[in-house]
Amino acid sequence: MLLDFALPAHDRKLIPEGRLSGQMPWVIAIMLFLTLLVAAAGLTLAAAAQKGGQDLARQVTVQIIEADPIERAAKRAAVTRDLQKFDGVISVTPVSDVEVRKLLEPVLGEDILDADVPVPALVDVRFDAAPSRATLDGIRDSLRGVAPDVRLDPHSAWMAPFYRLMNMLLWLAGAVAVLLLLATSAVVVLAVRSTLNTHRGTIEIMYLMGGTDFQAARLFQRRVALDALLGGFVGFGAAAVVLAILNNGFAAAEPSLLSGVAFPNFGWVILALIPLAVTALAMLMARFTVISALKKML
Amino acid sequence: MQSVVEFDNVGLRYGTGAETLTDLSFTLYPGSFYFMTGASGAGKTSLLKLLYLAHRPSRGAIRMFGHDAITLPRNRLPGFRRRIGVVFQDFRLVPHLSSFDNIALPLRIAGISERELRGPVTEMLAWIGLTERADARPAMLSGGEQQRVAIARAVIGRPEILVADEPTGNVDPEMALRLLQLFAALNKLGTTVVVATHDIHLLQEVEGAQMMRLDKGRLSDPTGSLRHPPKPLILKS
Repeated sequence: MLLDFALPAHDRKLIPEGRLSGQMPWVIAIMLFLTLLVAAAGLTLAAAAQKGGQDLARQVTVQIIEADPIERAAKRAAVTRDLQKFDGVISVTPVSDVEVRKLLEPVLGEDILDADVPVPALVDVRFDAAPSRATLDGIRDSLRGVAPDVRLDPHSAWMAPFYRLMNMLLWLAGAVAVLLLLATSAVVVLAVRSTLNTHRGTIEIMYLMGGTDFQAARLFQRRVALDALLGGFVGFGAAAVVLAILNNGFAAAEPSLLSGVAFPNFGWVILALIPLAVTALAMLMARFTVISALKKML
Repeated sequence: MQSVVEFDNVGLRYGTGAETLTDLSFTLYPGSFYFMTGASGAGKTSLLKLLYLAHRPSRGAIRMFGHDAITLPRNRLPGFRRRIGVVFQDFRLVPHLSSFDNIALPLRIAGISERELRGPVTEMLAWIGLTERADARPAMLSGGEQQRVAIARAVIGRPEILVADEPTGNVDPEMALRLLQLFAALNKLGTTVVVATHDIHLLQEVEGAQMMRLDKGRLSDPTGSLRHPPKPLILKS
Protein backbone atom coordinates (compact mmCIF):
# COMPACT_ATOMS: atom_id res chain seq x y z
CA MET A 1 0.00 0.00 0.00
CA LEU A 2 2.70 2.47 1.02
CA LEU A 3 4.98 1.59 -1.87
CA ASP A 4 2.13 1.24 -4.31
CA PHE A 5 3.09 3.73 -6.97
CA ALA A 6 2.51 1.56 -10.02
CA LEU A 7 -0.41 3.71 -11.13
CA PRO A 8 -1.95 3.26 -14.58
CA ALA A 9 -0.80 5.87 -17.09
CA HIS A 10 -4.17 7.65 -17.14
CA ASP A 11 -4.19 8.06 -13.35
CA ARG A 12 -0.66 9.47 -13.47
CA LYS A 13 -1.92 12.20 -15.77
CA LEU A 14 -4.27 13.54 -13.09
CA ILE A 15 -1.39 15.31 -11.33
CA PRO A 16 1.19 16.16 -13.99
CA GLU A 17 4.60 14.84 -13.02
CA GLY A 18 7.07 17.63 -13.61
CA ARG A 19 10.13 15.71 -12.53
CA LEU A 20 13.48 17.46 -13.03
CA SER A 21 11.65 20.67 -13.68
CA GLY A 22 10.69 20.97 -10.03
CA GLN A 23 13.08 21.80 -7.22
CA MET A 24 12.18 18.97 -4.89
CA PRO A 25 14.45 16.26 -6.35
CA TRP A 26 17.41 18.63 -6.14
CA VAL A 27 16.64 19.72 -2.59
CA ILE A 28 16.30 16.06 -1.61
CA ALA A 29 19.58 15.30 -3.41
CA ILE A 30 21.41 18.01 -1.44
CA MET A 31 19.87 16.96 1.89
CA LEU A 32 20.67 13.33 1.19
CA PHE A 33 24.22 14.15 0.12
CA LEU A 34 24.77 15.89 3.48
CA THR A 35 22.99 13.10 5.38
CA LEU A 36 25.12 10.46 3.66
CA LEU A 37 28.36 12.34 4.41
CA VAL A 38 27.40 12.69 8.07
CA ALA A 39 26.37 9.03 8.19
CA ALA A 40 29.66 8.03 6.52
CA ALA A 41 31.63 10.10 9.03
CA GLY A 42 29.71 8.41 11.84
CA LEU A 43 30.30 4.95 10.40
CA THR A 44 34.01 5.65 9.91
CA LEU A 45 34.31 6.93 13.47
CA ALA A 46 32.41 3.95 14.80
CA ALA A 47 34.56 1.50 12.85
CA ALA A 48 37.78 3.23 13.89
CA ALA A 49 36.68 3.42 17.51
CA GLN A 50 35.64 -0.21 17.53
CA LYS A 51 38.84 -1.42 15.85
CA GLY A 52 41.10 0.76 17.97
CA GLY A 53 39.12 0.05 21.11
CA GLN A 54 39.28 -3.69 20.59
CA ASP A 55 43.02 -3.57 19.95
CA LEU A 56 43.72 -1.36 22.91
CA ALA A 57 41.44 -3.23 25.26
CA ARG A 58 43.51 -6.35 24.60
CA GLN A 59 46.81 -4.65 25.45
CA VAL A 60 48.36 -4.13 28.86
CA THR A 61 51.77 -2.67 29.71
CA VAL A 62 53.55 -4.06 32.73
CA GLN A 63 55.82 -1.52 34.43
CA ILE A 64 58.60 -2.60 36.74
CA ILE A 65 60.01 0.15 38.94
CA GLU A 66 63.57 -0.74 39.80
CA ALA A 67 66.53 1.63 40.04
CA ASP A 68 69.28 -0.99 39.68
CA PRO A 69 69.71 -1.77 35.95
CA ILE A 70 70.89 -5.35 36.52
CA GLU A 71 68.07 -6.09 38.94
CA ARG A 72 65.62 -4.41 36.57
CA ALA A 73 66.72 -6.62 33.67
CA ALA A 74 66.42 -9.72 35.83
CA LYS A 75 62.96 -8.77 37.01
CA ARG A 76 61.88 -7.98 33.44
CA ALA A 77 63.01 -11.42 32.31
CA ALA A 78 61.23 -13.08 35.24
CA VAL A 79 58.01 -11.12 34.61
CA THR A 80 58.19 -11.99 30.91
CA ARG A 81 58.46 -15.68 31.73
CA ASP A 82 55.72 -15.52 34.37
CA LEU A 83 53.27 -13.72 32.06
CA GLN A 84 53.43 -16.47 29.44
CA LYS A 85 51.80 -18.98 31.73
CA PHE A 86 48.47 -17.09 31.94
CA ASP A 87 45.50 -18.17 29.84
CA GLY A 88 44.51 -15.68 27.15
CA VAL A 89 47.96 -14.15 26.81
CA ILE A 90 48.95 -14.39 23.16
CA SER A 91 52.16 -12.40 23.19
CA VAL A 92 54.58 -10.98 25.73
CA THR A 93 57.15 -8.50 24.42
CA PRO A 94 59.76 -7.03 26.73
CA VAL A 95 60.66 -3.46 25.75
CA SER A 96 64.39 -2.85 25.79
CA ASP A 97 65.87 0.02 27.84
CA VAL A 98 66.96 1.68 24.60
CA GLU A 99 63.40 1.71 23.32
CA VAL A 100 62.07 3.00 26.63
CA ARG A 101 64.64 5.80 26.60
CA LYS A 102 63.59 6.68 23.06
CA LEU A 103 59.99 6.90 24.22
CA LEU A 104 60.88 9.11 27.15
CA GLU A 105 63.33 11.33 25.33
CA PRO A 106 60.74 13.80 23.99
CA VAL A 107 59.31 14.13 27.49
CA LEU A 108 62.35 14.21 29.76
CA GLY A 109 65.04 15.43 27.38
CA GLU A 110 68.28 13.86 26.28
CA ASP A 111 70.44 15.32 29.06
CA ILE A 112 68.47 13.88 31.92
CA LEU A 113 68.34 10.43 30.34
CA ASP A 114 72.09 10.55 29.71
CA ALA A 115 72.60 11.25 33.41
CA ASP A 116 71.62 7.67 34.20
CA VAL A 117 68.18 8.56 35.46
CA PRO A 118 66.51 5.22 36.17
CA VAL A 119 63.71 4.35 33.82
CA PRO A 120 61.08 1.67 34.44
CA ALA A 121 61.27 -1.65 32.64
CA LEU A 122 58.30 -2.23 30.38
CA VAL A 123 56.69 -5.42 29.07
CA ASP A 124 53.95 -5.31 26.48
CA VAL A 125 51.28 -7.97 26.91
CA ARG A 126 48.65 -8.78 24.34
CA PHE A 127 45.56 -10.84 25.19
CA ASP A 128 43.22 -12.73 22.85
CA ALA A 129 40.31 -10.78 24.37
CA ALA A 130 39.99 -7.80 26.67
CA PRO A 131 41.04 -9.06 30.12
CA SER A 132 38.65 -8.57 33.01
CA ARG A 133 39.57 -6.65 36.14
CA ALA A 134 39.73 -9.97 38.07
CA THR A 135 42.17 -11.42 35.50
CA LEU A 136 44.39 -8.36 35.80
CA ASP A 137 44.26 -8.49 39.62
CA GLY A 138 45.29 -12.19 39.49
CA ILE A 139 48.18 -11.43 37.15
CA ARG A 140 49.30 -8.50 39.32
CA ASP A 141 49.27 -10.65 42.47
CA SER A 142 51.24 -13.36 40.71
CA LEU A 143 53.83 -10.93 39.29
CA ARG A 144 54.41 -9.32 42.69
CA GLY A 145 56.00 -12.62 43.66
CA VAL A 146 58.84 -11.93 41.22
CA ALA A 147 58.77 -8.10 41.11
CA PRO A 148 57.08 -6.41 44.12
CA ASP A 149 57.00 -2.96 42.47
CA VAL A 150 55.14 -4.11 39.38
CA ARG A 151 52.32 -2.00 37.87
CA LEU A 152 49.79 -3.02 35.25
CA ASP A 153 48.51 -0.33 32.87
CA PRO A 154 45.60 -1.51 30.72
CA HIS A 155 45.65 0.63 27.56
CA SER A 156 41.89 0.96 27.61
CA ALA A 157 42.13 3.05 30.79
CA TRP A 158 44.24 5.88 29.36
CA MET A 159 42.36 5.83 26.03
CA ALA A 160 38.96 6.08 27.79
CA PRO A 161 38.61 9.89 27.48
CA PHE A 162 39.45 9.66 23.78
CA TYR A 163 36.80 7.02 23.22
CA ARG A 164 34.29 9.00 25.25
CA LEU A 165 34.95 11.85 22.82
CA MET A 166 34.58 9.48 19.86
CA ASN A 167 31.30 8.32 21.35
CA MET A 168 30.08 11.90 21.69
CA LEU A 169 31.03 12.58 18.08
CA LEU A 170 29.11 9.50 17.03
CA TRP A 171 26.00 10.72 18.83
CA LEU A 172 26.49 14.13 17.27
CA ALA A 173 26.73 12.56 13.80
CA GLY A 174 23.55 10.59 14.50
CA ALA A 175 21.74 13.71 15.72
CA VAL A 176 22.83 15.73 12.66
CA ALA A 177 21.69 12.90 10.36
CA VAL A 178 18.29 12.80 12.12
CA LEU A 179 17.98 16.61 11.85
CA LEU A 180 18.76 16.43 8.14
CA LEU A 181 16.14 13.72 7.69
CA LEU A 182 13.63 15.87 9.58
CA ALA A 183 14.48 18.81 7.33
CA THR A 184 14.01 16.54 4.29
CA SER A 185 10.61 15.49 5.64
CA ALA A 186 9.69 19.16 6.11
CA VAL A 187 10.69 19.86 2.50
CA VAL A 188 8.48 16.99 1.34
CA VAL A 189 5.54 18.28 3.41
CA LEU A 190 5.93 21.80 2.00
CA ALA A 191 6.26 20.50 -1.56
CA VAL A 192 3.20 18.27 -1.19
CA ARG A 193 1.15 21.14 0.27
CA SER A 194 2.24 23.39 -2.54
CA THR A 195 1.34 20.78 -5.18
CA LEU A 196 -1.92 20.13 -3.38
CA ASN A 197 -2.78 23.83 -3.60
CA THR A 198 -1.77 23.95 -7.27
CA HIS A 199 -3.98 20.97 -8.11
CA ARG A 200 -6.72 21.70 -5.62
CA GLY A 201 -9.27 22.05 -8.41
CA THR A 202 -8.47 18.63 -9.86
CA ILE A 203 -8.55 17.00 -6.43
CA GLU A 204 -11.90 18.65 -5.67
CA ILE A 205 -13.33 17.31 -8.92
CA MET A 206 -12.04 13.85 -8.06
CA TYR A 207 -13.73 14.10 -4.68
CA LEU A 208 -17.04 15.27 -6.04
CA MET A 209 -17.01 12.30 -8.41
CA GLY A 210 -16.48 9.91 -5.56
CA GLY A 211 -12.71 9.82 -5.30
CA THR A 212 -11.34 8.74 -1.93
CA ASP A 213 -8.58 10.14 0.29
CA PHE A 214 -6.41 7.18 -0.63
CA GLN A 215 -6.89 7.62 -4.37
CA ALA A 216 -5.73 11.24 -4.04
CA ALA A 217 -2.89 10.30 -1.67
CA ARG A 218 -1.62 7.67 -4.12
CA LEU A 219 -1.17 10.29 -6.82
CA PHE A 220 1.04 12.37 -4.54
CA GLN A 221 2.87 9.37 -3.11
CA ARG A 222 3.94 8.30 -6.55
CA ARG A 223 5.12 11.76 -7.51
CA VAL A 224 7.02 12.20 -4.22
CA ALA A 225 8.50 8.70 -4.50
CA LEU A 226 9.87 9.41 -7.96
CA ASP A 227 11.29 12.76 -6.83
CA ALA A 228 12.84 11.17 -3.73
CA LEU A 229 14.32 8.30 -5.74
CA LEU A 230 15.80 10.68 -8.24
CA GLY A 231 17.13 12.93 -5.47
CA GLY A 232 18.42 9.88 -3.62
CA PHE A 233 20.21 8.59 -6.69
CA VAL A 234 21.93 11.92 -7.32
CA GLY A 235 22.73 12.46 -3.61
CA PHE A 236 24.11 8.94 -3.23
CA GLY A 237 26.20 9.25 -6.39
CA ALA A 238 27.75 12.53 -5.24
CA ALA A 239 28.38 11.20 -1.73
CA ALA A 240 29.94 8.01 -3.14
CA VAL A 241 32.39 10.03 -5.24
CA VAL A 242 33.38 12.18 -2.24
CA LEU A 243 33.79 9.12 0.01
CA ALA A 244 35.89 7.27 -2.56
CA ILE A 245 38.21 10.28 -2.82
CA LEU A 246 38.46 10.59 0.99
CA ASN A 247 39.05 6.85 1.37
CA ASN A 248 41.95 7.05 -1.07
CA GLY A 249 43.26 10.00 0.92
CA PHE A 250 43.14 8.00 4.16
CA ALA A 251 44.88 5.08 2.52
CA ALA A 252 47.66 7.33 1.25
CA ALA A 253 48.16 9.12 4.58
CA GLU A 254 50.90 8.23 7.08
CA PRO A 255 49.64 4.98 8.67
CA SER A 256 50.57 5.94 12.23
CA LEU A 257 48.53 9.14 11.93
CA LEU A 258 45.28 7.60 10.78
CA SER A 259 45.70 4.00 11.82
CA GLY A 260 42.41 2.16 11.46
CA VAL A 261 40.58 5.17 9.95
CA ALA A 262 38.80 3.97 6.82
CA PHE A 263 35.22 3.81 5.66
CA PRO A 264 34.09 0.23 6.36
CA ASN A 265 32.84 -1.90 3.47
CA PHE A 266 29.54 -2.70 5.21
CA GLY A 267 28.96 1.06 5.36
CA TRP A 268 28.17 1.13 1.65
CA VAL A 269 25.17 -1.12 2.27
CA ILE A 270 23.94 1.19 5.03
CA LEU A 271 24.48 4.27 2.86
CA ALA A 272 22.61 2.63 -0.03
CA LEU A 273 19.69 1.89 2.29
CA ILE A 274 19.40 5.52 3.43
CA PRO A 275 17.98 6.87 0.12
CA LEU A 276 15.48 3.99 0.06
CA ALA A 277 14.50 4.75 3.65
CA VAL A 278 14.16 8.44 2.75
CA THR A 279 11.94 7.50 -0.21
CA ALA A 280 9.70 5.42 2.06
CA LEU A 281 9.68 8.24 4.63
CA ALA A 282 8.84 10.79 1.94
CA MET A 283 5.95 8.66 0.69
CA LEU A 284 4.66 8.25 4.22
CA MET A 285 4.92 12.01 4.83
CA ALA A 286 3.14 12.68 1.52
CA ARG A 287 0.36 10.28 2.43
CA PHE A 288 -0.23 11.78 5.88
CA THR A 289 0.09 15.36 4.57
CA VAL A 290 -2.41 14.80 1.75
CA ILE A 291 -4.94 12.95 3.87
CA SER A 292 -4.79 15.41 6.75
CA ALA A 293 -4.94 18.41 4.37
CA LEU A 294 -7.87 16.92 2.47
CA LYS A 295 -9.76 16.32 5.70
CA LYS A 296 -9.51 20.04 6.39
CA MET A 297 -10.17 21.09 2.79
CA LEU A 298 -13.10 18.92 1.76
CA MET B 1 -42.92 6.25 -2.99
CA GLN B 2 -39.36 6.07 -1.63
CA SER B 3 -37.62 9.46 -1.94
CA VAL B 4 -34.06 9.95 -3.14
CA VAL B 5 -33.58 13.29 -1.37
CA GLU B 6 -35.35 14.79 1.61
CA PHE B 7 -34.56 18.24 3.00
CA ASP B 8 -36.07 19.13 6.34
CA ASN B 9 -35.78 22.71 7.56
CA VAL B 10 -32.31 23.05 6.07
CA GLY B 11 -30.29 26.24 6.42
CA LEU B 12 -26.86 27.08 5.06
CA ARG B 13 -24.57 29.92 5.99
CA TYR B 14 -20.99 30.55 4.94
CA GLY B 15 -18.82 31.52 7.88
CA THR B 16 -20.53 33.99 10.14
CA GLY B 17 -22.58 35.67 7.40
CA ALA B 18 -26.31 35.68 6.94
CA GLU B 19 -28.02 32.47 5.86
CA THR B 20 -27.72 31.84 2.12
CA LEU B 21 -30.42 29.19 2.26
CA THR B 22 -33.18 29.29 4.80
CA ASP B 23 -35.77 26.77 5.96
CA LEU B 24 -35.63 24.47 2.92
CA SER B 25 -37.98 21.53 3.20
CA PHE B 26 -38.72 19.40 0.15
CA THR B 27 -38.57 15.88 -1.21
CA LEU B 28 -37.21 14.67 -4.56
CA TYR B 29 -38.56 11.41 -5.94
CA PRO B 30 -36.84 8.86 -8.15
CA GLY B 31 -37.33 9.32 -11.88
CA SER B 32 -38.55 12.89 -11.53
CA PHE B 33 -37.32 15.95 -13.42
CA TYR B 34 -36.95 19.31 -11.73
CA PHE B 35 -36.05 22.71 -13.01
CA MET B 36 -34.69 25.06 -10.40
CA THR B 37 -35.11 28.74 -11.16
CA GLY B 38 -34.44 31.95 -9.36
CA ALA B 39 -32.66 35.25 -9.76
CA SER B 40 -28.90 35.46 -9.56
CA GLY B 41 -27.85 35.18 -5.91
CA ALA B 42 -31.07 33.40 -4.97
CA GLY B 43 -29.04 30.42 -3.74
CA LYS B 44 -29.40 27.97 -6.64
CA THR B 45 -25.72 27.00 -6.72
CA SER B 46 -25.59 26.69 -2.93
CA LEU B 47 -28.58 24.37 -2.96
CA LEU B 48 -26.99 22.30 -5.72
CA LYS B 49 -23.81 22.05 -3.61
CA LEU B 50 -25.88 20.57 -0.80
CA LEU B 51 -27.40 18.16 -3.30
CA TYR B 52 -24.06 16.93 -4.60
CA LEU B 53 -22.60 16.72 -1.09
CA ALA B 54 -19.97 19.41 -1.54
CA HIS B 55 -21.18 21.11 1.64
CA ARG B 56 -22.96 20.10 4.79
CA PRO B 57 -25.81 22.37 5.91
CA SER B 58 -25.54 24.64 8.92
CA ARG B 59 -28.78 23.26 10.29
CA GLY B 60 -31.67 20.97 9.46
CA ALA B 61 -31.66 17.41 8.17
CA ILE B 62 -30.89 15.92 4.78
CA ARG B 63 -31.60 12.33 3.82
CA MET B 64 -30.19 10.90 0.61
CA PHE B 65 -30.87 7.43 -0.71
CA GLY B 66 -32.51 6.62 2.61
CA HIS B 67 -29.53 7.66 4.75
CA ASP B 68 -28.83 10.66 6.93
CA ALA B 69 -26.40 12.62 4.75
CA ILE B 70 -25.33 14.97 7.54
CA THR B 71 -23.96 12.41 9.93
CA LEU B 72 -22.55 10.28 7.13
CA PRO B 73 -18.95 9.41 8.01
CA ARG B 74 -16.31 10.84 5.69
CA ASN B 75 -15.25 7.44 4.39
CA ARG B 76 -18.79 6.73 3.14
CA LEU B 77 -19.16 10.00 1.24
CA PRO B 78 -17.35 8.77 -1.93
CA GLY B 79 -19.85 5.94 -2.31
CA PHE B 80 -22.73 8.41 -2.18
CA ARG B 81 -21.02 10.92 -4.48
CA ARG B 82 -20.57 8.22 -7.13
CA ARG B 83 -24.36 7.99 -7.30
CA ILE B 84 -24.61 11.71 -8.15
CA GLY B 85 -23.65 13.28 -11.48
CA VAL B 86 -22.80 16.97 -11.51
CA VAL B 87 -22.59 19.53 -14.30
CA PHE B 88 -20.86 22.60 -12.92
CA GLN B 89 -21.70 26.09 -14.08
CA ASP B 90 -18.00 26.70 -14.82
CA PHE B 91 -17.62 23.14 -16.23
CA ARG B 92 -14.59 22.41 -14.01
CA LEU B 93 -12.92 20.17 -16.54
CA VAL B 94 -9.45 18.96 -15.59
CA PRO B 95 -7.30 21.29 -17.72
CA HIS B 96 -4.48 18.87 -18.52
CA LEU B 97 -6.73 15.96 -19.51
CA SER B 98 -8.17 15.35 -22.96
CA SER B 99 -11.92 15.30 -23.63
CA PHE B 100 -11.79 11.50 -23.56
CA ASP B 101 -9.96 11.41 -20.23
CA ASN B 102 -12.25 14.03 -18.70
CA ILE B 103 -15.32 12.04 -19.65
CA ALA B 104 -13.72 8.78 -18.49
CA LEU B 105 -12.74 10.27 -15.10
CA PRO B 106 -15.79 9.15 -13.05
CA LEU B 107 -15.51 5.62 -14.45
CA ARG B 108 -11.80 5.43 -13.64
CA ILE B 109 -12.45 6.74 -10.13
CA ALA B 110 -15.07 4.03 -9.73
CA GLY B 111 -12.47 1.46 -10.78
CA ILE B 112 -13.88 0.56 -14.21
CA SER B 113 -11.23 -1.07 -16.40
CA GLU B 114 -9.88 0.64 -19.51
CA ARG B 115 -11.33 -2.08 -21.70
CA GLU B 116 -14.81 -1.63 -20.24
CA LEU B 117 -14.85 2.15 -20.30
CA ARG B 118 -13.53 2.70 -23.83
CA GLY B 119 -16.85 1.79 -25.52
CA PRO B 120 -19.17 3.97 -23.41
CA VAL B 121 -16.82 6.96 -23.49
CA THR B 122 -16.40 6.73 -27.28
CA GLU B 123 -20.18 6.42 -27.65
CA MET B 124 -20.71 9.43 -25.40
CA LEU B 125 -18.20 11.48 -27.39
CA ALA B 126 -20.12 10.62 -30.55
CA TRP B 127 -23.39 11.54 -28.89
CA ILE B 128 -22.21 15.02 -27.98
CA GLY B 129 -20.60 15.40 -31.41
CA LEU B 130 -17.02 15.57 -30.24
CA THR B 131 -15.51 12.35 -31.60
CA GLU B 132 -13.00 14.38 -33.58
CA ARG B 133 -12.07 16.34 -30.45
CA ALA B 134 -11.46 13.31 -28.23
CA ASP B 135 -7.79 14.20 -27.72
CA ALA B 136 -8.29 17.93 -27.32
CA ARG B 137 -7.69 19.52 -23.97
CA PRO B 138 -10.29 21.92 -22.53
CA ALA B 139 -8.26 25.00 -23.46
CA MET B 140 -8.59 23.97 -27.11
CA LEU B 141 -12.37 23.58 -26.91
CA SER B 142 -14.98 26.29 -27.32
CA GLY B 143 -17.25 27.12 -24.37
CA GLY B 144 -20.05 25.06 -25.85
CA GLU B 145 -17.76 22.09 -26.46
CA GLN B 146 -16.46 22.28 -22.90
CA GLN B 147 -20.01 22.32 -21.62
CA ARG B 148 -20.85 19.20 -23.63
CA VAL B 149 -17.80 17.42 -22.25
CA ALA B 150 -18.83 18.46 -18.73
CA ILE B 151 -22.32 17.06 -19.31
CA ALA B 152 -20.96 13.85 -20.80
CA ARG B 153 -18.71 13.45 -17.74
CA ALA B 154 -21.68 13.94 -15.43
CA VAL B 155 -23.90 11.36 -17.11
CA ILE B 156 -21.36 8.70 -18.16
CA GLY B 157 -21.68 6.84 -14.88
CA ARG B 158 -25.50 6.62 -15.12
CA PRO B 159 -26.00 8.48 -11.84
CA GLU B 160 -29.11 8.13 -9.70
CA ILE B 161 -29.29 11.91 -9.34
CA LEU B 162 -28.08 14.33 -11.98
CA VAL B 163 -27.49 17.87 -10.79
CA ALA B 164 -26.82 20.45 -13.51
CA ASP B 165 -26.04 24.11 -12.98
CA GLU B 166 -26.97 26.10 -16.10
CA PRO B 167 -26.09 23.17 -18.39
CA THR B 168 -27.26 24.82 -21.60
CA GLY B 169 -25.92 28.31 -20.97
CA ASN B 170 -23.18 28.12 -23.60
CA VAL B 171 -24.71 26.00 -26.34
CA ASP B 172 -26.90 26.83 -29.29
CA PRO B 173 -30.65 26.05 -29.07
CA GLU B 174 -30.30 22.88 -31.11
CA MET B 175 -27.55 21.50 -28.89
CA ALA B 176 -29.52 22.62 -25.82
CA LEU B 177 -32.40 20.51 -27.00
CA ARG B 178 -30.13 17.52 -27.66
CA LEU B 179 -28.71 17.82 -24.17
CA LEU B 180 -32.17 18.02 -22.69
CA GLN B 181 -33.03 14.87 -24.64
CA LEU B 182 -30.01 13.21 -23.08
CA PHE B 183 -31.17 14.25 -19.62
CA ALA B 184 -34.68 13.04 -20.43
CA ALA B 185 -33.34 9.70 -21.64
CA LEU B 186 -31.43 9.29 -18.39
CA ASN B 187 -34.51 10.35 -16.51
CA LYS B 188 -36.52 7.61 -18.21
CA LEU B 189 -33.95 5.13 -16.97
CA GLY B 190 -34.73 6.28 -13.43
CA THR B 191 -32.29 9.12 -12.84
CA THR B 192 -33.65 12.06 -10.87
CA VAL B 193 -32.67 15.22 -12.72
CA VAL B 194 -32.32 18.67 -11.17
CA VAL B 195 -31.46 21.45 -13.63
CA ALA B 196 -30.78 24.96 -12.39
CA THR B 197 -31.45 27.45 -15.18
CA HIS B 198 -32.31 31.01 -16.04
CA ASP B 199 -33.76 29.90 -19.36
CA ILE B 200 -37.50 29.78 -18.83
CA HIS B 201 -37.96 28.36 -22.35
CA LEU B 202 -36.39 25.13 -21.18
CA LEU B 203 -39.21 24.69 -18.71
CA GLN B 204 -41.64 24.46 -21.58
CA GLU B 205 -39.57 21.87 -23.42
CA VAL B 206 -39.95 19.13 -20.87
CA GLU B 207 -43.52 18.41 -20.12
CA GLY B 208 -44.21 17.01 -16.73
CA ALA B 209 -41.05 18.51 -15.29
CA GLN B 210 -41.49 20.06 -11.88
CA MET B 211 -40.29 23.49 -10.87
CA MET B 212 -38.42 24.61 -7.79
CA ARG B 213 -38.19 28.35 -7.41
CA LEU B 214 -35.69 29.93 -5.09
CA ASP B 215 -36.15 33.45 -3.88
CA LYS B 216 -33.56 34.95 -1.53
CA GLY B 217 -32.59 31.53 -0.23
CA ARG B 218 -36.14 30.39 0.35
CA LEU B 219 -37.97 27.84 -1.73
CA SER B 220 -41.36 28.42 -3.22
CA ASP B 221 -43.28 25.55 -4.74
CA PRO B 222 -45.49 27.00 -7.45
CA THR B 223 -46.50 23.68 -8.98
CA GLY B 224 -46.80 21.83 -5.72
CA SER B 225 -44.58 19.21 -7.24
CA LEU B 226 -42.31 19.08 -4.27
CA ARG B 227 -45.16 17.89 -2.13
CA HIS B 228 -46.54 15.37 -4.56
CA PRO B 229 -44.96 12.55 -6.61
CA PRO B 230 -44.26 13.62 -10.20
CA LYS B 231 -46.21 12.65 -13.27
CA PRO B 232 -44.52 10.63 -16.03
CA LEU B 233 -42.20 12.74 -18.07
CA ILE B 234 -42.88 13.69 -21.70
CA LEU B 235 -40.35 15.52 -23.77
CA LYS B 236 -42.32 17.70 -26.13
CA SER B 237 -39.77 18.06 -28.86
